[in-house]
Amino acid sequence: MMLNGKTALVTGGRGGIGRAICERFKREGATVYAADLSAGGSLESGDAPRGFLQLDVTREASVKAAFDHVAEHSGALDILVNAAGVEIEKTIEDTSLDEWNQIFAVNVTGTFLVSKYALPLLRKSNAAGGASVINFGSYDGFIADPGLAAYCATKGAVHALTKAMACDHGPEGIRVNAICPGYVDTPMLQSFFEGEGSGGDGGSIDSLQQAVRDVHPMRTYGTPEDMANLVNWLASDEARYAAGQLWVLDGGLSAQVQQMKL
Amino acid sequence: MMNERLAGKRALVTGGRQGIGRGIADRFHSEGAQVALTGRGERPGDLPAHFQWYGSDVSDGEAVQVLAAECAEGLDVLVNNAGVQIEKTVLDTTDADWDQLMGANAKGVFLMCRAFIPKMTKGGSIINIGSISGTTADPGLALYNASKAFVHGLTRSIAVDHGPAVRCNAICPGWIMTGMADAAFAAAADPDAAKADALARHPAGRFGEPSDIAAMATWLASDESGFATGQLFTIDGGMTAASPLNPGLF
Repeated sequence: MMLNGKTALVTGGRGGIGRAICERFKREGATVYAADLSAGGSLESGDAPRGFLQLDVTREASVKAAFDHVAEHSGALDILVNAAGVEIEKTIEDTSLDEWNQIFAVNVTGTFLVSKYALPLLRKSNAAGGASVINFGSYDGFIADPGLAAYCATKGAVHALTKAMACDHGPEGIRVNAICPGYVDTPMLQSFFEGEGSGGDGGSIDSLQQAVRDVHPMRTYGTPEDMANLVNWLASDEARYAAGQLWVLDGGLSAQVQQMKL
Repeated sequence: MMNERLAGKRALVTGGRQGIGRGIADRFHSEGAQVALTGRGERPGDLPAHFQWYGSDVSDGEAVQVLAAECAEGLDVLVNNAGVQIEKTVLDTTDADWDQLMGANAKGVFLMCRAFIPKMTKGGSIINIGSISGTTADPGLALYNASKAFVHGLTRSIAVDHGPAVRCNAICPGWIMTGMADAAFAAAADPDAAKADALARHPAGRFGEPSDIAAMATWLASDESGFATGQLFTIDGGMTAASPLNPGLF
């Protein structure tokens, strides 16, 4: 029970990684607000009123209302996870201005808005290890995957924002870190695979997935639970001295130079 | 067109017998520098007369002292390029492999810098050859990867400890077509497919050449780079800017 007595809010809380984080937080004893655009199915037992929270991270009124709700029911916040995110699979040439604005609205503006309105509640945290904000960067914020230009740019922005927030709010007892996943088995990844069809080698989606696994030193891509393991640590008091860092969790993918077929 | 950007400068390039070292030496000469090369053994038969040659071994402390006594005084540019590569994992690596590889790639750079820094001209430029493999790992090159990370760390330390007397930077080459790379392709199961795959990983659409590294070295050796120190300069045709996933997959 690493998070006993803590209150957490997770954006994208009904998505692949966000859902796993919410479930882990609950098992660790936290009160969890799973914030997302829609509940995505039936509410789980014990969800309300501290459970699913309707939230559009791109709309200031929605964000403000969500934190009014948290203030009313919990009074303080110990953990904020900015896991809401979208992906657009295009080069800059094929990306329309609307698409560009939309992905920045969710991935960057959303992280900004949610963090901004969470701060007053995070300051009220009594957590021994400080309040903890965990943003979602990506290994794509360091190196590029082809055809994901706007996505890569949003994640680079989140990395810089993470460091800036850590500098500004560390003195207030708020730790800010980002986790930078590589390939994680989520609906987003599956839709990416499906969008790529049979891949470059004329094979099936299965063979494409296997090829992607094989590029990883761990010979697999990650699960949402793998991400939740690190998020849980960063949220806990164990991580009381961790701040301003970008935590890459990618099965070793980006530790290697290009893997030539030699 | 010859710019003579290094006119009046004296440079020494270690490991200058072939490949990148020789490419840097040729370019430095064309830019007006007086260039000396050093390597183990006799002067190469095909080495043009305008190059001085010192037979020496950078991993041998006494030999480096002798070399420094002969040519360090008034030297403007030192390029620590000498290096060896042993294709083994940690488990397969012998103590003798360690001595050979770390002797040249790590101890050699240390010995050269220690002996040469006090004698170089004020504001002199030390250029170490690091590698993209010092930042991210190439499989089966354990000590090589580690030795290049050492070079990167030492580069920063020298810049910090010995500026402004000298500047010190490292160049991190990617795949440069030298004899070493030719041999790697020749050994592949399907050499043509291996070459096509490797090429697809280079946004520049080609492999590197010693002249690409020499171009960066020329800038770092010149007064144009007077404010550059303690940094790593990657020249790899864009390869490490991309995910290591096979681009052919997507």
